[in-house]
Amino acid sequence: MLFNSFSFGLFLPITLLLYWAVGFKRIKSQNAILLIASYFFYGLWDWRFLFLIVASSLVDYFAAIAIKSSESVSKQKRYLYSSIIWNLGVLFLFKYYNFFIDEFALLFNMQQGEYGFSTLNLILPVGLSFYTFQTMSYTIDVYKNRIAPTNNLLNFLCFVGFFPQLVAGPIEKAKNLLPQFNNKRNFDQSEVKDGLRQILWGLFKKMVIADNAAYIVNMVYASPEDYGSLSLLYASVLFFFQIYGDFSGYSDIAIGTAKLFGFKLSKNFNIPYLAKSATEFWQRWHITLTRWFTDYVYFPIIKKNLRSNTRRNLAIFSTMVLIGLWHGADWTFIIFGGFQGFLIILERTPLSKDRKSSLFHKTLRPNFLFPLFSFFIITASSILFRSQNIDEVWFIFKRIFSFIPSDTIGLLINKYFLVCGFIMITAEILTRFKDFPLSKIDKYVSLPLRWIIYYILIFFIFQYAGFKEDFIYFQF
Amino acid sequence: MPDSKKISSISNFNKSQLQFLKYCLLFFIPVIVIYCILEILALNLPINYKVAGDYLNSHSQKIELMALGSSQVKCGFNPALSNKTAINLASTSQHHKEDFLILQGTIDRLPKLKYVLFEVSYMHLELPYHPNDYWKNNIYLKYYKVNAFERSAYFKDKLVYLSNPQFYSAKLKDYYIYKDDKVHLNKFGFDTNNYYSSFNKLDYDTSKITNNYFKIYTKENLDIFKTNTAYLFKMLDYMQSKNLNVIICTVPVYKTYLNKRNPNIVRRRDSILSVIKKKYSNVVVLNEENDSLQFTVKDFLNENHLNPDGAKKFTALVNQKLDSLSGRAQSRSN
Repeated sequence: MLFNSFSFGLFLPITLLLYWAVGFKRIKSQNAILLIASYFFYGLWDWRFLFLIVASSLVDYFAAIAIKSSESVSKQKRYLYSSIIWNLGVLFLFKYYNFFIDEFALLFNMQQGEYGFSTLNLILPVGLSFYTFQTMSYTIDVYKNRIAPTNNLLNFLCFVGFFPQLVAGPIEKAKNLLPQFNNKRNFDQSEVKDGLRQILWGLFKKMVIADNAAYIVNMVYASPEDYGSLSLLYASVLFFFQIYGDFSGYSDIAIGTAKLFGFKLSKNFNIPYLAKSATEFWQRWHITLTRWFTDYVYFPIIKKNLRSNTRRNLAIFSTMVLIGLWHGADWTFIIFGGFQGFLIILERTPLSKDRKSSLFHKTLRPNFLFPLFSFFIITASSILFRSQNIDEVWFIFKRIFSFIPSDTIGLLINKYFLVCGFIMITAEILTRFKDFPLSKIDKYVSLPLRWIIYYILIFFIFQYAGFKEDFIYFQF
Repeated sequence: MPDSKKISSISNFNKSQLQFLKYCLLFFIPVIVIYCILEILALNLPINYKVAGDYLNSHSQKIELMALGSSQVKCGFNPALSNKTAINLASTSQHHKEDFLILQGTIDRLPKLKYVLFEVSYMHLELPYHPNDYWKNNIYLKYYKVNAFERSAYFKDKLVYLSNPQFYSAKLKDYYIYKDDKVHLNKFGFDTNNYYSSFNKLDYDTSKITNNYFKIYTKENLDIFKTNTAYLFKMLDYMQSKNLNVIICTVPVYKTYLNKRNPNIVRRRDSILSVIKKKYSNVVVLNEENDSLQFTVKDFLNENHLNPDGAKKFTALVNQKLDSLSGRAQSRSN
């Protein structure tokens, strides 16, 4: 079930009515409703994969309890590794197995049948990378004594399967989300209204910005040889706005939906196109993923030798390559991650031995060069992210820098889309210190004006929504 | 023991929640009312799908020929000029998958159907099919009563405005506000006034047309080619099993379009057409793509579509093929 679908428009109010109708004192009943609703929501894609979610939840639930009840460190480690092996094993099997088998065969120039393994015909379960990382972090945190394990299976199943963030995040840490399932939820009208506003804003970004951009991007990337340099550049920049509108729109809908049920989810985007460097970009883009990798990959690598520059750079590079690989099993994603890692290392490299200024900040003065650098990163990353394979990446770069005339660029420009894009960017920049542009709008805008704003957004959604596209991040 | 009465009762809502519910109802009622009005207006628009659908339903017992395909056949074949009782269910971007589903979904309602005309144009074998939630599936369901979703149809599948708000908004504006009178649909849903496109704007001036930009796909895709070819053979097997006589056509295109085609794609398509001719006795091929003798610049709407004058000539060519097939044609019930 997609957030921008008719079915979700029915599912959400029904679930919400049931949820609040049982009364806020009946936490168990509310959690049971949430769990049933979440599994129903997921089961509509493919009910078979519900078993995988339940299995992953049970493995981590019991692993955490076993870790806590074990007294010897070696036993605790054994349980932790079992959980990690299970989680990464499932992820590897469904997401990476075929890729590694194919690359292995290519490396040794083997044909099908010449090696013992063959590729598997498996569908990638929706949201696998998201909920796997969420459950894995729970067990690691219990092992590290950062949180106590829960003894309430229902709450834990809800924590893993909570439908607003089940299939595309935000990736929540148990410390933030799990206690919310234990606590009483109050119906706070202002929070619920804010949730609805955030859903509306998310739908605008997804259906108007992302889906319209997708139409142009898909057309150009379906046949890049038919387009000139400027058209390819335009489509690549547009792809950034497509994926931003798509994913941040999804996150807004997820966070807004959670608010309707009395839950608070973490912020996942913070106007990434205002980033002045790659480092800052990753602090603004898919924030919960960056935090996950920082806490569970980057810090463990550098903690043994905090002062070693080489170790730190290696940690940055490998973390970013893994972030790239998290997005998909393809060389384009690995190079995408490596490219980001390289940029972050470059930005952090000191110019002098006193470590006072870095190479990047010295080179890019005056300040107006930073947005240009940011634009370059965004465009280059978009090409890596959108292309089907390395050959296509190379072809598009070559074509852009060959300065081939783009006679057709005018045909790619949709004035309504540009107006809507302008509205989104302006609104986000003007309200950059808030969670989202419509947040707490009731505090400074009168009711009639507020309603006019909402109706205008609804009008844009009805009138200018592009063809329905799947959320891009579902595939990850 | 939990109070089951209280659990099931709406009285569990507190004052704040009830107030919020009222607020929501008050806000959403105008949205729902406006949507309902748009849906009703959209349903009453005299668009070609509706006219063709009405004709399909009212003449189902008489229809002998069904034309399927993309906008090229939609613009190129006028059922009013056909020497058989015909219907043209081709539409813009309609691919073989939709063609096949329409045929399968209507064949039982058309007892006299003997002929099927459909196209294998330049890019037909190397363009991917639309996904199952393609917006036109709502149209097929509403007007042709064909479920092309390949799943059970739900209430939302019957809503036409919601399937493509941009398309319907433009049509509603043209019809109700601007009172656009350019479209003249005959009773078959064919636009007899379909002259207003790029060639008309360029006054049919061949020197201007030579420099006119148009979109043409040139990217080869062997995976899609294999899938689409297999699907095409599946369609042909089905038509053979139903005793249908098939005319596979390629519609004339203007010479600038011919020159920009990818020769590898053309070669592969032509080789498949040759195989079909040999393999299926119920199939004839009407290959008019390169016909620049009978079709002049004045017959074209743009680089790859015919205008009604061109459609007249093309329909006459279809009629000739139909005559040659008439001897072979037999009732499907035999």
